[in-house]
Amino acid sequence: MTPDVGLASHGAEEAPRATAGRAPDVFSREGWVPMREHCRDEAVDFVIVGAGCGGSVLATKLAEAGHSVVLFDAGPFWRPLSDFASDEREQEKLYWLDERISGGDDPIEFGANNSGRGVGGSTTHFQMVSLRFRPEWFKSRSALGYAVDWPVDWKEMWHYYAEAERAMSISGPISYPWGPKRGRYPYRAHEVNEAGLVLARGAEALGVDWAPTPLATVSAPHGKSPPCVYRGMCKIGCSTNAKQSMLVTYIPRALAAGAEIRDLAMVGHIETGPDGRATGVEYHRDGGWHFQKARNVVVSAYSIETPRLLLNSACGRYPHGLANGNGQVGRHLMVHANHAVWAEFDREIRWYKGPPSMACCEHWNYDDDDPSRDFHGGYSFMSQGPLPSDFAGTLVGSTGAFGMDLRERMARYNRMAGLKIVGETMPQAENRVTLSDETDAFGLPRASVSFSYCDNDRRLYEHSQRFMTRMLEAAGGGNFLESASTAHLMGGCRMGHSPEDSVTDADGRSWEISNLWICDGSLMPTAGGVNPALTIVANAARIGDRMVRLAKRGEV
Amino acid sequence: MTRRGREDRPAPAATRRGRTGLGMLVLGLGLGLAGAAAAGRLARSRKHADIHDASLRRTRDGAAILGASVLMDSAMEHFRGGYENRVMYLGPTMAAASVAASLSEPRLHPGGSAARVAHGACLVTGIVGTGFHLWNITRRPGGLSWNNLFYAAPIGAPGALSIAGLLGLATEAMAVRQEDRRTTGRALAALSGLSLLGESAEVALLHFRGAFHNPAMYLPITVPPLAGIVLVALAVRPHAGGQRVTRLLLRIVGGLGVLGTAFHVYGVSRNMGGWSNWRQNALAGPPTPAPISFTGLGLAGLAALDLLDNARDRA
Amino acid sequence: MSDDFSDPYEGYDVLSKWDTPSFNDQTRRVLAARRTPPARRFFTQEEWRTLQALCDRAIPQPERAEPVPIAPWIDADLHADRGTGTRYATMPAARTAWRQGLAAIDAEALVRFGTPFADLAPERQDAILTAVDDESLADPYAWEGLPARRFLRDTALKTIVSIYYVHPQAMSEIGYGGPASPRGYLRLGGDRLDPWEAPQGHWPEDEDR
Repeated sequence: MTPDVGLASHGAEEAPRATAGRAPDVFSREGWVPMREHCRDEAVDFVIVGAGCGGSVLATKLAEAGHSVVLFDAGPFWRPLSDFASDEREQEKLYWLDERISGGDDPIEFGANNSGRGVGGSTTHFQMVSLRFRPEWFKSRSALGYAVDWPVDWKEMWHYYAEAERAMSISGPISYPWGPKRGRYPYRAHEVNEAGLVLARGAEALGVDWAPTPLATVSAPHGKSPPCVYRGMCKIGCSTNAKQSMLVTYIPRALAAGAEIRDLAMVGHIETGPDGRATGVEYHRDGGWHFQKARNVVVSAYSIETPRLLLNSACGRYPHGLANGNGQVGRHLMVHANHAVWAEFDREIRWYKGPPSMACCEHWNYDDDDPSRDFHGGYSFMSQGPLPSDFAGTLVGSTGAFGMDLRERMARYNRMAGLKIVGETMPQAENRVTLSDETDAFGLPRASVSFSYCDNDRRLYEHSQRFMTRMLEAAGGGNFLESASTAHLMGGCRMGHSPEDSVTDADGRSWEISNLWICDGSLMPTAGGVNPALTIVANAARIGDRMVRLAKRGEV
Repeated sequence: MTRRGREDRPAPAATRRGRTGLGMLVLGLGLGLAGAAAAGRLARSRKHADIHDASLRRTRDGAAILGASVLMDSAMEHFRGGYENRVMYLGPTMAAASVAASLSEPRLHPGGSAARVAHGACLVTGIVGTGFHLWNITRRPGGLSWNNLFYAAPIGAPGALSIAGLLGLATEAMAVRQEDRRTTGRALAALSGLSLLGESAEVALLHFRGAFHNPAMYLPITVPPLAGIVLVALAVRPHAGGQRVTRLLLRIVGGLGVLGTAFHVYGVSRNMGGWSNWRQNALAGPPTPAPISFTGLGLAGLAALDLLDNARDRA
Repeated sequence: MSDDFSDPYEGYDVLSKWDTPSFNDQTRRVLAARRTPPARRFFTQEEWRTLQALCDRAIPQPERAEPVPIAPWIDADLHADRGTGTRYATMPAARTAWRQGLAAIDAEALVRFGTPFADLAPERQDAILTAVDDESLADPYAWEGLPARRFLRDTALKTIVSIYYVHPQAMSEIGYGGPASPRGYLRLGGDRLDPWEAPQGHWPEDEDR
């Protein structure tokens, strides 16, 4: 637990807000909306663990279909208008700061780039890049010859992408240069800032396409969301509600449809009954442990916490953890390579203005035939706009600079521009989440994560750094600096075609326990070369519709 | 390296901050001029015995309203652009001249007058301005792309200044040619009708940028084009009838100008920080001076109708 | 390496926007709370001296009568055991890592120069930090179980810059816009500045051109 985080707004972090029949009104500074509450002793239809891209969407779908739903999140229930400050350090409260043990040859840095803690999940601090998977990626193995196929058809996903884009009022370009034709984005693309125009000029010089990035922040008013004011602090939380996070899109819908949300509620175990079926969850809230009965348990806690919870729920009948009879839980964890090239310009760019990634290039997600391509999979890259402390961390992390040299380099902050990839990594069984011997403040074993790039991953990011350096040079940059990091998490409990090599079926239902489901990014069999949030939302919407249909047939 | 005081520093070659002061001065002078002319206009008798004089006055009022809209809008938009290029002062300056010229009394005999020169200059400035805006659009990455049409210099805006100039010139011609009311009426109907279509096209582009997030945003791209088409039709076939419907449509168009202004004022208040963040929102939100231009064009259209009706009555 | 900072945005101060729409109440609260650094509670006096010397070398501020405080916030974080989300398997927990790292830096100084790190001349302190970053250590035993470069870069320097560059004085010196809510920015193109941004900066080499 992190008691001193968030000096300015202890309100949300000290005690649960969603209680006594009401939940915070996220569009107000201190208001409330009514919330239906459920009795702990009476089994609800669905308990969902985690209120991010997976859980929020699923809770909405199920509640709107009339099911009783309790949605848990370990973190606070924010009101962005009054809780989010313009301050990088203060806003670290949005990240999952509880320690994970990170090993392997290329250990992952957790926190800002890959996990959120709070209702809305990491969408409260994601950078809103909302790209669709390339259709062939759903058949990576059979169509492109690497990794595995998804148990889902791309056309079905395409339908749900459109639904997700409507729900999140994505602001995107009229015509998108890559992939099959898609419908019009609900909102028009934003004006591209100077940092994005650097990418544009470089792309035009090299003869590749570029596009204004489809972003989950509105370019015109939408409901109670005002249009984006281009304050550039998306990564530390949007204090205007222009960002279409789960917190301001699906969560209000879920509440209105009768779902109950329990914030600051850490789920520690999933209980199973004598018949082997899940019976509910044990969770810590308001200083004590409680039990919520449920007919179905859905784990939507993302690629680290979902496997951790399943493994932590081991019992006599399931000694290796739930849904883990085949040992697949926690395996095939993926990240996105997040390598970047930074360049200095002889004029000011002022990349702090506007969302960080206003222009994007998916050339290497779609071009299969270029002779320079020496890797499987793909990568997209976006223009960048890191905030000062974030960029200073990149500088010292990749150069070890200190002293006046460091201050002088940082004094060129306004003249920098950069390109950063979202690079697909291959699913590898040994990249995985296990439990460590150490316990956290709740007495729960901490997650231990092992991650190593494979040769293909390395070829991919090396290719990207060569290409992006060329592009920045073509745009007039110099004094290049390369940096390496990762972003996002995918996999860890993948869905698949058969119980042998996956944890769930295409509906997110675990092969082993019929009323235990998973619905989040950990289901993803492959990572793709785009930011995963939109795919997770679309997949959750698909699963939600499936579960409602199955329930109508009495199969839930 | 030694520390240098601020005074030791070489002056920057060019500041890239907006030239706030001069822009404000131009706007202030323009508003002052417009205000003085408007006051003079109000001081004069509003009664016109003759329908021709009334139409003439109405058209000039319409041109003045349109000019005032262009004055405010271009002053604000060019302020956003920091008056980076000196010619950007031309837009609001000429718009101010247009307002003044439209509010002055037209001369009744042919020959040069300051007002005629001003109207002509506005026409030319609008055309040149369109060229400048097109250049601004196409020099950005993406060229003539939707994104640049949305966010670079607005392609249709300088055209409004040309229209104001044309309307002004039309009234000057009307003042000289008292007799041929049908021809005058037809010409004015064509001009105001085509202008309504042009303005609607500009609105369509910008409201499309705003994703028609409010259904009311469809109003200015439905009623005014309809009125514009009917006006053009009347110009082509003045005897075809339908005056009554046209008159109603034009009155609605005039009302839409006022309603649109109210909507835009409300729209600015919906942006983060509302009007208390006016330095950002007055420019980032919907342009408050823009919608009233429909009222100006509506007046010109009504004047054309009056002339046509009158010509028929007298025939 | 010069030890003078050439401020490209001299005279610009993000705090001058305190009463404008660029600041909201919660941001004012956060920045007001940062004015009073907390008292030392975690480190020992000896560790504290080394930590302060390390912060001074990482971010030297010779031009300031009152340097931006950094060490007290590191101490406060560790006192609260505030996590970062990550603990590298090759690294001990944050509290242990900091204690061992500071002691090892001091040990390196003693072995090389016979003087504690805090008492060394700046050039010698730089030499120690460079050696730590290169992992060419005179006293490798002090670093057992603690990868030197990872400690210096990922634990020490990253924490130090994450504290320094959220301070208004640091935002001002790099020409960053600072707090921006409810008012953000209007002019996104490179050829335009909003009136509430820092005026164009001046760098030493600009004068050579």
